This record gives sequence, C-alpha cells and structure tokens, in this order.
Amino acid sequence: MKTVGKDIIRPDAYDKIIGKAIYPDDIEIEGMLYAGVKRTTIPYGRVLSINSEEIKKVPGVVAVIDYKMIPGAISHGVIFKDIPTLVKDVFKRVGDCLLLVVAKDKASLKIALDNVKVEYEEYKGVFTVEDALKEDAPILGDGSNILYDIKVKKGDIEKGFEEAAFIAENFYHTQMTEHVFLQPECAVSTIDDDGKINVYVATQYPHYDREEVAKCLDMNEEDIRIINTTIGGAFGGREDINPQCHAALATYITKRPVKVLYSREESVISHSKRHPMKLYYKTGVKDDGKLCALKVRIYGDTGAYASWGMNVLRKSAVHATGPYEIPNVDVRAQAIYTNNPYSGAMRGFGAAQVPLAHEAQMDILAEKLAMHPLQFRYLNAFKVGSVTATLQELKSSVGIKECMEKLAQIDNIQLDKDVRE
Amino acid sequence: MKKRGIGYAATFYGTGYGNGFPDESRATVEINANGEIILSVEVSDVGSGGISVMWQIASETLNIDRNLIKLQYDNTSKMLDSGTAAASRQTYNTGNAVLDACKKIKINIDKYYNKVEIIKNKKVLTELYQKFISDNQELKYEGYFKATTSQVDLETGIGEPYWPYTFGINRAIVEVDCETGKVDVIDVVAVYDAGKIVNPVLAEGQIIGGVSMGMGYAIMEEVNVLKGSIKNCNYSDYIIPTSKDMPKVTTYFVEANEASGPYGAKGLGEPAMLPTAPAILNAIYDAIGVRLTEFPATCDRILLELKNKGV
Repeated sequence: MKTVGKDIIRPDAYDKIIGKAIYPDDIEIEGMLYAGVKRTTIPYGRVLSINSEEIKKVPGVVAVIDYKMIPGAISHGVIFKDIPTLVKDVFKRVGDCLLLVVAKDKASLKIALDNVKVEYEEYKGVFTVEDALKEDAPILGDGSNILYDIKVKKGDIEKGFEEAAFIAENFYHTQMTEHVFLQPECAVSTIDDDGKINVYVATQYPHYDREEVAKCLDMNEEDIRIINTTIGGAFGGREDINPQCHAALATYITKRPVKVLYSREESVISHSKRHPMKLYYKTGVKDDGKLCALKVRIYGDTGAYASWGMNVLRKSAVHATGPYEIPNVDVRAQAIYTNNPYSGAMRGFGAAQVPLAHEAQMDILAEKLAMHPLQFRYLNAFKVGSVTATLQELKSSVGIKECMEKLAQIDNIQLDKDVRE
Repeated sequence: MKKRGIGYAATFYGTGYGNGFPDESRATVEINANGEIILSVEVSDVGSGGISVMWQIASETLNIDRNLIKLQYDNTSKMLDSGTAAASRQTYNTGNAVLDACKKIKINIDKYYNKVEIIKNKKVLTELYQKFISDNQELKYEGYFKATTSQVDLETGIGEPYWPYTFGINRAIVEVDCETGKVDVIDVVAVYDAGKIVNPVLAEGQIIGGVSMGMGYAIMEEVNVLKGSIKNCNYSDYIIPTSKDMPKVTTYFVEANEASGPYGAKGLGEPAMLPTAPAILNAIYDAIGVRLTEFPATCDRILLELKNKGV
C-alpha cells in the first residue's frame, strides 16, 4: 500500500505547532458581547428567587436571561433530555445553570455574575449508591433511582463454582476521574442577516450540537450552523452540551456576536465525569487453570443526570469477563442516580473500570495455581471462535493471544510448553 | 526501602455505539474544475489523528496523491452526519464511509485513468474533470457505512452488542518506596491488536497518551466530592502525570486483519488507556505484597495498607 500503514505527517500538524490553529477563544469579532452563567452552589433543591432585576442594572450588562426567555426546549441530553439549559425550579447537582448574563465586556460580566443572589429551598440529597438504593431515599430519576439495570447470564453459575478448585472473592472501588483536556470550553456565536445562527465550538459531534441548539431556539436545523474549531482534547468530556446553547441563546436575544468562555474551575464543575463504581467479583478456576465461573455485581454512580449512564454500564457488563472465555457467567450492572456530579462518557467508557477488578482477580488466581500470570491469561484468552458472556461468537480478528505471544517473547516467558511452574 | 515489581494486564474493547443503535457514517467525495478532490466528512479530530486517517484512506483508495485531496470536516452545512468522535469508532466506521465514497468515484476514474502510478499531477485531475463533464458523469459521490450490532436482552445479556473488538496487553515495572508510599512507574511494554494500523506513528502517540492516562488512573487521579461539590477543581490539586513521571513506553502492534474494516483497521482511541492501570496495580502487589482494592493507589493508601498488613 502507498499511503495506508505509512507514518505520514498529519495535515493539521503544522498549524498546531506554529500556533496558527484556531480554537474558539481565538475568535474575536467587533462588537462581540460576553456571556456567562450563574451556577447552583448546593446539590439538590428548588429556586425560590433570583435578583435578576438588580443584575440588569449592573453597568455593562446587556441582557439577563432566564428559562422563561428560552424560545424552545429548556433542557438537553444525549439520550434523555434531563439536563436543564437554564433551571426552571428543581435542580439536582452543584453546577446547574440558573441565569445567563450577557455583558459588553468580561469585567462587567464578572461583576454581574458575582452579584447574582439566589434563594434556595434545599432538599436532602443522596451522595452514595448505597443511600440511593434505600427505601426512604429521595427519588431523583423517573420513579426510581435505578437508571439502568442489565443482567448477563451464560451457562450455570452454581455448577460453575462447584467445579472450581480455587475461588477469589473481593470488592473493588474505582474512583471518579476528570478528563483533563487542555482547552476549557468556549463557544462563539454569530447571527447572519437572514437570522441564521452560527456557533463556533470545539466539539465531538457538530450535528448533535446543531440539533440541541435548534431545539433550544425552536429553529430549523438548517438555520443553525455549527463550525467545529480546532479541538484542545476531549476524551468524552465534550459529548454533552455545555456552552453551545447559552452562546446561541444570547446571540438570538441580543442579535450580537457572543462569546462564552469557561475558567478551568467552571470547566471541571460543568462537564461529565468518569463513573465511580463499586464492584463485587467472585471468580472460579479449575485445577487445570481454566476459568469456570464468574459472578459480578457492578454499581455505577451515575450522578444527577442520565447522560450516557445506560451505555456506560452496559459496556461494563459486557466487558466484565475481560478478554477471557468463561463458560459460566452471572453479571448484573446498575447505573444509579445520586446528587453527585453527573457521570458520562470518558475514554474507556465503562470498560476502563472493570479491568481494575478482573485483572486483580486473574493475578490472585494465578498465584493460587502457582502459574505465571501471563501463562494463565494466555490459557484463558479469547481466540477466533470464542463465545463471549453475551453469547457472541468472535468470528474474526481476535489478536489477544498474538499480543501475549509478542510480550512473552520480549519478557522471555514460555507460554504453552508446560503451563505449570 | 524501594521495592520493584512487575505486573501484567489484558483487556478487550468493543468499538462503536453498539447495542443495535444506528451507528452510521457518511462521506462525500467530489472532483472539481481546479483539479482537486474534495472530501467532506464529519471527523472531529480530538487529537487522535482522525483527519489524517480519512485523508490516507481516501488517497489509498483513489490512487491520488494526498496533496490533491482537500478535506472539509468542520462545518455542518458542508458535511453530512457521521456521528460522534467517540466510542473509538472514527477509523472503523467513518473510515468505511470514506472508503465507500472513494470506491464509487474510482469506478468512473478508472474509465479514463487506470494506470498503477499514483496521480500526482493536478493537470491529470483537471483533464479527468473535463471528461466527467463531457461524458455527463456525476461529480459528487456519497459514501455510507453502518456498523452491525444487535440489542442485548436486559434479562440475559444475549446479543451481539459491539463489533469489532480491539485487544491489548501491558506489562508494567514499578518501584515502590516503602517509607513514603510513592510509586514510580519505570517501564511499560504495550502490545495491541487494533487490526491494520493506518498511521503507525500516530497510533504510537495514542498509546503513549493512553499509558499516561492509565497511569494517572492507577496512582494519582481522583475527583474529591463532598456533598455533591467538587473540592479539587484545578490542576494544582487534581494531579495527573507530567512528562517527568512518565515511564519508558515501548509499543508493538500485532495486526489481526478485520475484513469489515477499512484496509483491515479497527478502533484504537479508548483501548489505548485500558490495560495500563491494572498492570501498574498488579506490579505494586508484586513489589510490596499488598493488594489495593480502593483506587487510586496513592501514597497514603499504600502506607495504610502496608501498616495494616504489618509489613
């Protein structure tokens, strides 16, 4: 092949290296206004009052926008439209957007936002999956705190554990993490003479942003244009809507170009996080080193809003075995609402948490079997024709054993001669 | 006293939205009067090299030098919907849509130019354009691809939730300071099967970034939340690896060809960060004989475990 498989310099490299690449905050337009939002500072409650009238009088303020001024949908979300674009009354997390302020410059905007005063009625929140599953817990979801519940069953789990010579049974707890993309969220919006809205933003999915902005403004999608600038990292953190609708809404109301730029702190507070998970793992292995049974329970803290919670926990359940063929499997995974920051997409997407458990289990069992951990993995690894826990046959391109062979060659380990030490 | 340990971890990753969700990509390719090929495709390059991948697939398929291929990938009014830059799906899914569009125009290009030599001259393309016009050939071609998956049953899990799968294994060597609890990651060997690698140097970059992210996940990173409020909102107190923390990383690819992928390629973006964290955690156990079950393995957690075990 002439091009595929070659170390070609990427077409976007030069502009990035010499500093010519345009990120949203590089865009300056004459007469541009600056907008920002006041966010909730308590995790669960209802808004009683906001001093909007006072904020309108702050020098330099051009517009003060609340949910009533949104022409279309007042919430958004990648699957369920549950995240408030601007809060109507009840909110469920620290960092929800209450009031959109537009000012003629950054300094006036800061003074205005610092002077927003909110009266809340605070509700009792839940902050752990255990508390969220209690009978008297406040209900954050649609009639339940369980957003998603999936079971994966293969073979006969009881019989599988009866065959086991060794069993490892443990609890694991993975932490919440942040994407740490370098470029904080920013969007610039403009309006054409014919009323069409343009939003310049660094995003993972321009057509999705277009759909949400159109719904928010109650406009046709064809009349919204999303221009994806250079993106300063994402890792899943730019999948949900953040500044897009606010910038577009401010332009729609003021008919002026508007920039919304987050500080690092606002960026971290606003976007989704990696699901913290509590994992119960019981893994059984036969005397010959073959895995025979796996029981797993996964509780994912999905936070205040759905985002991709269903898809993330599904991915955890499907990948709970690791890349190994296990004849008897019983997995259950749940995404559970709390008043924590909402969890969503982050590189690895549910398949990043389970390896911390299944790979610890593999080492514990290898030690009990007195086998080298790489040999033990090799003995159980998927190959073409293997059947996964969801009864999917892996029909082609299953290179895990070849990967292990390569590593064994580097580390000088005998993989398949006599698997016992 | 510092103790060394070695750890292994293997992972797999099903790419794409999965679960029967319509996982569609589209691309258009057009020949113009200036002697250029215009490839319009929604590829959001989050740093992964997605733009380069689409460019290379187009150049390979069309047998046209990449400098004659112009990309449009940033404006919703000039490109069709190709879904998210997520789920490690761009190379496989959107790459297949680019392949499809290019194959369609190539059939007509071949009627006028079917030499083995790659087209490097603008003049050749301008002449091709003239012939397309005079013979009334379409100038613009649309490519499409939809990944094949099926919905899983919520009670049994039965189904074909993702396709294809990418695989990887890491071996990590760590050094643990038993007095301070600090873990230094010394060396990581990372071996992956992501099918055919479209751009090896970019893929290696993905892996090094993935190792860094996996390392942060294993021993450093944690968002501290108190009553729903994040307490470490800045990079002064949310700690990630710096270049000085990074181990030596050696990357290998075994390329198990995936027939349904463009030139045999699968996804790599997310799988790149999966095996590193568990390999480091297993190496910590190998070094000091205590196994952490709450992550990350920070200094204080390691010291506490050592104390609890009386080591």
